[in-house]
Amino acid sequence: MHRYRFVLLRPLQFLPVLFGISIITFVLVRLIPGDPARILLGARATPSALARIRAQYGLDEPIWTQYFYFLKNLSAGEMGRSTVFKIDVLPLIASRIEPTLALVLTSVLLSLLIAVPFAAISARRQGRAADQAIRIVSTVGIGLPPFWLGLVLILVFSVTLGWLPVSGYGETLPEKLSHLVLPGLTVALSLSAVLTRSLRAGMIAGLASDVATAARARGMPEGVVFWRHVVPNALVPTVNLLAVNIGWLIGGTVVVESVFALPGMGQLLVRGIFSRDYMVVQGVAMTFAVATVLVNFLADIITVALDPRVKL
Amino acid sequence: MQIGRRPMLGFGLALLAGALLVALAAPLIAPFDPIFQDGTMRLQPPSLAHLFGTDNFGRDVLSRVIWGARIDLQIAVLGVVFPFLIGTAIGTLAGFFGGWVDAVLMRIIDVILAFPFLVLMLSIIAILGPGLKSFFIAMALVGWVSYARLIRAQILVLKTQDFAVAAESLGFSRMRIMFRHLLPNALAGSLVFVMSDAVLVLLGGAAISYIGLGVQPPVAEWGVMVAEGQAFVTTAWWITVFPGLAIVLLAFGFSLVGDALGDLLGVRE
Amino acid sequence: MTAVLRIEDLEVRFRDGDESRLLIDRVSLELQRGEILGLVGESGSGKSLLCRAVMGLLPSRKLAITRGRVELDGETISGLPEAAMLGIRGRRIGMIFQNPTSHLDPVMRIGDQIAEGLRRHRGLGRAAAQAEAVDLLRQVGFTDPPRQARMYAHEFSGGMRQRAMIAIALACDPEILIADEPTTALDVTIQAQILRLLADLRRTRGLSIILITHDLGVVAQVCDRIAVMRNGSVVEQGEKRALLAHPQHPYAQALIASHPSLPQEDAVGEPLRPHEAPLVEIDDLEVSFPAGGGLFGRKRSTKALAGVSLRVGRGETVGIVGESGSGKSTLARALLGLQPVTAGHIAFDGAVLTLERARTLARLRREAAMVFQDPFNALNSRMTIGETLAEVLRVQGKVPAERIPTRIGELLDMVGLERDFAARRPRSMSGGQCQRAGIARALAVDPTLIVADECVAALDVTIQAQIVALFRRLVQDHGLTLIFIAHDLAIVRRLCERVVVMQHGRIVEDGASAEIFARPAHPYTAALIAAIPSIDPDRPLGGGEAGAISETGLQQEGLTT
Repeated sequence: MHRYRFVLLRPLQFLPVLFGISIITFVLVRLIPGDPARILLGARATPSALARIRAQYGLDEPIWTQYFYFLKNLSAGEMGRSTVFKIDVLPLIASRIEPTLALVLTSVLLSLLIAVPFAAISARRQGRAADQAIRIVSTVGIGLPPFWLGLVLILVFSVTLGWLPVSGYGETLPEKLSHLVLPGLTVALSLSAVLTRSLRAGMIAGLASDVATAARARGMPEGVVFWRHVVPNALVPTVNLLAVNIGWLIGGTVVVESVFALPGMGQLLVRGIFSRDYMVVQGVAMTFAVATVLVNFLADIITVALDPRVKL
Repeated sequence: MQIGRRPMLGFGLALLAGALLVALAAPLIAPFDPIFQDGTMRLQPPSLAHLFGTDNFGRDVLSRVIWGARIDLQIAVLGVVFPFLIGTAIGTLAGFFGGWVDAVLMRIIDVILAFPFLVLMLSIIAILGPGLKSFFIAMALVGWVSYARLIRAQILVLKTQDFAVAAESLGFSRMRIMFRHLLPNALAGSLVFVMSDAVLVLLGGAAISYIGLGVQPPVAEWGVMVAEGQAFVTTAWWITVFPGLAIVLLAFGFSLVGDALGDLLGVRE
Repeated sequence: MTAVLRIEDLEVRFRDGDESRLLIDRVSLELQRGEILGLVGESGSGKSLLCRAVMGLLPSRKLAITRGRVELDGETISGLPEAAMLGIRGRRIGMIFQNPTSHLDPVMRIGDQIAEGLRRHRGLGRAAAQAEAVDLLRQVGFTDPPRQARMYAHEFSGGMRQRAMIAIALACDPEILIADEPTTALDVTIQAQILRLLADLRRTRGLSIILITHDLGVVAQVCDRIAVMRNGSVVEQGEKRALLAHPQHPYAQALIASHPSLPQEDAVGEPLRPHEAPLVEIDDLEVSFPAGGGLFGRKRSTKALAGVSLRVGRGETVGIVGESGSGKSTLARALLGLQPVTAGHIAFDGAVLTLERARTLARLRREAAMVFQDPFNALNSRMTIGETLAEVLRVQGKVPAERIPTRIGELLDMVGLERDFAARRPRSMSGGQCQRAGIARALAVDPTLIVADECVAALDVTIQAQIVALFRRLVQDHGLTLIFIAHDLAIVRRLCERVVVMQHGRIVEDGASAEIFARPAHPYTAALIAAIPSIDPDRPLGGGEAGAISETGLQQEGLTT
């Protein structure tokens, strides 16, 4: 199983990227004009609190020393305190991870459920009416603004039909699930458009490939050729495409959480920006970046599992 | 290029030309002032006088959609042009010099790409303060990475091809090989990417305005208009629906032209 | 003998709207039981398409059989519904292809790909099919089938992949095997093994084989009958010896005349001229490539060249031959200063590249030029041939600016291209035309040395012969020194007065062509020469005894585990 050795080694290679992420988030907040202590604590901070934060973050010292303090605090799990919520940023973010994670998973699941069958229909009937229709719909789908699509879905499914809740998250699992359907669908419709196009191209190439010709030449019916030989080969680049799009997908959830008032990290970020709660902005940006790195790692593992040729 | 044999390309070009025309001729064709508030005409449904209806301030939605074309076209075009120029220059540099220059640039790109696009955009805008100018600055700071990576990857591949080796064996200078032989071939791929990127930038710009960090009211911009209509979506759907459709159409135009370009240049993403 | 397969008056057309083109033009052929029929032709002759038509696997919906029929054992199979064809493909007619790498499913184990057909056509269970697959792998020459059945295509060498393809095709014991250029992508010694395997299978299984190839030598060695195709029709067919000895059709005559291994023709006549100071001197050259390893793994490197020493005199024509991975292309690039070297010395006309890099490079760039393997890829597809040549002339500065247009015309004349090619781009030209343009670009330097790296490998035989003739003329007319790198010994023999044989990054033999081809001193050279399929059927393939595959052959080929 030496092909999976990278699972142990790769995390070490993350270090430079994580280091870079910490620099960027650090610099972002230090770039804000004004007294950093006041920026971190808000306008109504008491003098004693200001002094305390100056000491904790070394704000009177040179910038690289400040960065060192920042790293030290970070490694102790100390990401500062939210000026709006009056609690530490770390537990605040932790409480917001679940809805965002659930939304991302729902979106990926739904988009695969939409994309795989549509791409299959499109590729196997290339050039015919069904294919033309799917191509046009997926091309339109890429340009659907999620914030607008979300409202249209609310208008149709919640307001007109009354099937699903308008916004919020809920307490119990069935409640949560019902609140996730529309936001998940909103992200999934855009994402599945991207996936459908890529999968379709991969499947068409696969159907015309030598592998498919060889399978036909040994008497395999078209269905077997497609599902056993073409699809597994087309899935590998799709996993990579999903990984590449994960940043875009998370960006989509930021907007969609705002539309549906879903209490996740994206909504927290937007609120943090409006209320100048910079510790929260810094924390959320960092969490999102680390999550992206982890997702790409996961995609690498899946790729190695799907394609025996890949060595990492 | 026979546009006649490529109906989708023709349609895409028509959409883009239409948007450009509407943007340029906005003062001539818009039936009303886009920011004039008519207190007596609040929340009117679409009618002959107001084809797209009016909003909660009594402004004509059609006129606002027409004026919005100016802003949103600008977002899609300028939001791509700056990153394209910066990214191409940096990618070329990395591919040209290789070695530690390349290594350092690639690490920077890795780190920037680790941040979700919109998250980094929002964070930068949070510092610069909301507005269209901040959006373009943030775009230039963040958007170049994908172009740099694309151009660099293409150049690395092209470098090993026989025609590049041939150029070297014929005594051509490195500058000549880079700019006469490698870069023109590498640009073909990124031109197609420009079109699909324009869609993403348009959606991103509109989304940032929707959130309230981009274009500021009362300026007519499609994302802002959707945000303004949100509160009335159950009673006055037209305020939200029409600007959204405008975004969809413009994005569709960019996608179609990009697809056709890809076919013509033989580039697959 | 009875015909197991009969193709009658078959016509295949491409139709798209009003456009209609004839691709297979009323072909009639018979394949007798237990016979090997060679289907010979150059690219675009329709030989592969004909076989696809037989299988009912035309590659596009715009292609259709518009006339004639195909009979298998007396039953018409052309026009059968798809469901019935499924029972014929793989079950009664098996097929193998030119490029085993792209035809094997990369993400499915080899054993599963064999078992797939067994389970479908013969209804075997999972375990029985696997057992049968292992047995088939043994029959086609795998050494450790139970383990190898669980491996993936990329873990095998090219020759072993082709063996795996054969095992898949034979899984359901078909009566007919269609082999579409099965050895074109392989080295000569491996080609000889695969051809022998096919001949053995014919004998032991009573298989009837259609062997599609561009190489008349292959046909002469293993086939019973030959059909020559051109532009979609069979121009001549007949018993092998009769056809090779007395071809009737002019195209068949040209094809036979173009074959580089023409029997008894002597290698380039002139004896080695005594040469004064050598133009190129290479001493103890070593080139290594980093391989694998990385941040945490052990740093490893593979040696592409190890201790190579070579002298090339002014005006000499030297052929460097060897199989893939022998290091011959690396040698070419290193001596032109296009490839960093690890150790050793390279000198060009007294200037030592490894000591005075800048000065030597400057001389090399003005006095040496290279011709490449892939004629399309070697030219910048965005520039016309005229622009390409003009650029070289301008950069080199040997011709005054106002003379450049005239010079372009002269260069095109020299390589036998019409002058209006100056305005054309590579994409609108054929492979042979592009290669001529590539040679013109090399000549634009006005070089003393031309290094040609596999520059005819991608071309059809008749075009190959033309390019070789062109090189011969250029060498004579301009007193060029030529280093000609090829895997095809027969071509080198026709062009070069001296041959250098490389294996595993070392030179194993170096001498006059006539001498080496007549009396090879090194066993590897002997094996290489013996493995060239001669167009003379009475000079059988060498390289190990017929029948079983020699154990050394398998080791040589190696398993890349």
